[in-house]
Amino acid sequence: MRISDLIKMGLRNLGRRKARTALTVVGVVIGTISIMLMVAIGQGINYNFEKQIMENGSMTIIRIYTYAWGENENGEYQEYQQVLNEELIAQLREIKHVKAVSPVMEKYIELYSGKYMTGISLKIMDCATFADFGFPALEYGTYPTPEQNETIVFGYEALNEFYYNNGRTYQTKTVDLAKDRVNFTFRDYDTTDVKKQFRYVVKDYAKIAACDQWEYGWYCYVDYEFYKELYTRYANTLKPADKKKAMESLERYDTIQINVDNMKHVTEVQEAIEELGYRTESDMQYIQPMLDTSDMLQKVFLAIGAVAFVVAAINIANTMIMSIYERTKEIGIMKVLGCYIKDIKKLFLFEAGIIGCIGGMVGVGLSYVAAYLLNEYGGAFLGSLMTIAGGEADTGAAYCIIPFWLPFAAILVAISVGILSGYLPARRATKISAIEAMKNEG
Amino acid sequence: MEETEPKDTNTKEEAPIIEIKNVKKIYRMGNERIPAVDDVSFAIKKGEFCCLLGTSGSGKSTLLNLMAGIEKASGGQILIKGKNIRKMNEKQLAKFRQKYLGFVFQSYNLLNSMTALENVEFPLVFKRIPARRRKRMAREMLVKVGLGSRMNHRPKQMSGGQQQRVGIARAFVAKPEIVFADEPTGNLDTRTTMEVMDLIKQVAKDNAQTIVMVTHDPRLAKFADKIIHILDGKIQSIETISHTMTEDTEEETTEKSEAEREENEEDEKENEKE
Repeated sequence: MRISDLIKMGLRNLGRRKARTALTVVGVVIGTISIMLMVAIGQGINYNFEKQIMENGSMTIIRIYTYAWGENENGEYQEYQQVLNEELIAQLREIKHVKAVSPVMEKYIELYSGKYMTGISLKIMDCATFADFGFPALEYGTYPTPEQNETIVFGYEALNEFYYNNGRTYQTKTVDLAKDRVNFTFRDYDTTDVKKQFRYVVKDYAKIAACDQWEYGWYCYVDYEFYKELYTRYANTLKPADKKKAMESLERYDTIQINVDNMKHVTEVQEAIEELGYRTESDMQYIQPMLDTSDMLQKVFLAIGAVAFVVAAINIANTMIMSIYERTKEIGIMKVLGCYIKDIKKLFLFEAGIIGCIGGMVGVGLSYVAAYLLNEYGGAFLGSLMTIAGGEADTGAAYCIIPFWLPFAAILVAISVGILSGYLPARRATKISAIEAMKNEG
Repeated sequence: MEETEPKDTNTKEEAPIIEIKNVKKIYRMGNERIPAVDDVSFAIKKGEFCCLLGTSGSGKSTLLNLMAGIEKASGGQILIKGKNIRKMNEKQLAKFRQKYLGFVFQSYNLLNSMTALENVEFPLVFKRIPARRRKRMAREMLVKVGLGSRMNHRPKQMSGGQQQRVGIARAFVAKPEIVFADEPTGNLDTRTTMEVMDLIKQVAKDNAQTIVMVTHDPRLAKFADKIIHILDGKIQSIETISHTMTEDTEEETTEKSEAEREENEEDEKENEKE
């Protein structure tokens, strides 16, 4: 048989039993809609989740703290003191997928501008890694570089609320670096009166542009090497005993911060560091179980969709078997008239495939409508699903997202399901003997 | 099998088109063995109208089914155009039926979803003949059987006689060399029966086609050149009827058949190319 004849005959056969064909198609339509919506909801969850992670940032960052809590061999929690030094940094740089490693220190400093002052945290990091850790854009100035490392980077809130308090009046002011001179000092040890107090007058400065990451607000940033210089100068103003301690503190880091090239590798890198004998922390640790939950939820959704499809497949198989019973004589006649077995098989597979195809196409169309309705009116219900998945559902978000490949995949799946469920009936049809044509019961 | 073909064409005048040698068909019912066809041998010449005559249950229909390859024989040889159809697989059988066999059934076996024209076209669909040529052939055939005005009627809208004419048109449309007819008039009244028999006979004669007809009605046997009486799966007697047919007309038909045959072969070649 020619393909064109096969198609014509297949369509004619489906047309002969319009109601039955339509009902079978409806089964596939429901299957397609359910699988498409389930995938779309899964995509929606993923999308919202990723969006939140993006907003939080720092998902790729691992931190090693000097003082870490962890379980010991006996399963008891205890505090560990870890030695974080240059040697360890060198080791960490060797680990695969590690993009950047920086020591991190945090010091309380007091900033002065005329009679106004404020206290703030100074974050000390290797300035060569600023870019790798994704520091935000600057409002003015430039980030320090290893060659030009004397820049103090102010957070976007750091210059607000300098205050003056003489006991009677309390005044605040926002410092303008272009006009006001600013100096600062450390407050780690009591200063002696003997020597002149340490004060560093800020020469090079930069300010971070306002952004939604809080860690760039009430902080100042400075390069580690430059900090060593400053701190050595500060130590020189201290009493001998304090000076020794201060100098020693420069050799150990509070924290080491590591940036991994991809979210997916965070766990892997953490494990590698733990093998070196260090305890680590990352936001990923807390997110991972949520990701797992969302992953599982999507699989559950897919399974629900698949169940509808299995029912549709059984339905198709049933329709085809019924159709073969009805057409036993016809198949016999076809055989007697010289139809190849292969063509009979093709005919039935084609009919089953067409049921799948029509069902798939109608299902895809209705899925878009359903997705629209769900996004528009289904917020309350789907929003609760999002919270199960660990995300916060905000109103107006897209709950169902149909990716461009999904309709094609759905139709393809529908056709395949049709053909697969038509396969056994089709084989059965080929086994019908030509004798059926010779029987004379009407 | 292919090797025998050239030899076959050379000797076609002498060799019988159908040759049955010691054919047996035994049905097993539990432990019981019921012989439906028991050691039957006969031959049918090309262009012959052969009638298998017997009562119901005599095994005549089974014999027809065996000859058409619809049922598998339990023993013996069935040679059609020198080819042993017992050795053919399903695919070869299908091809063989497309090429050489036509069927007329008692219950017409038309497809009710199709018009008369489409029903006649049906065997040509399996031969992969393009739609346009197929339609032309079917139309010509329907005109020949006198249904030129009913081509687009469905079987349900036609009388039994008309339906059987469609059935005959379908059997002959591909110009097969052999047409099997299983009680072709079993469902028809006497007047229509005679019309239909005349039609079969006439169409077959025009193309020098071989007819093998099964019937229980001795009156119909009169149309045949050869009557094989069957009883309980065995041949009782074979009687050859000499019709009042002049030598001239017989020769004429033979010549005509030669021309037809060549045309047929050309058709087949064309088909294979397509």
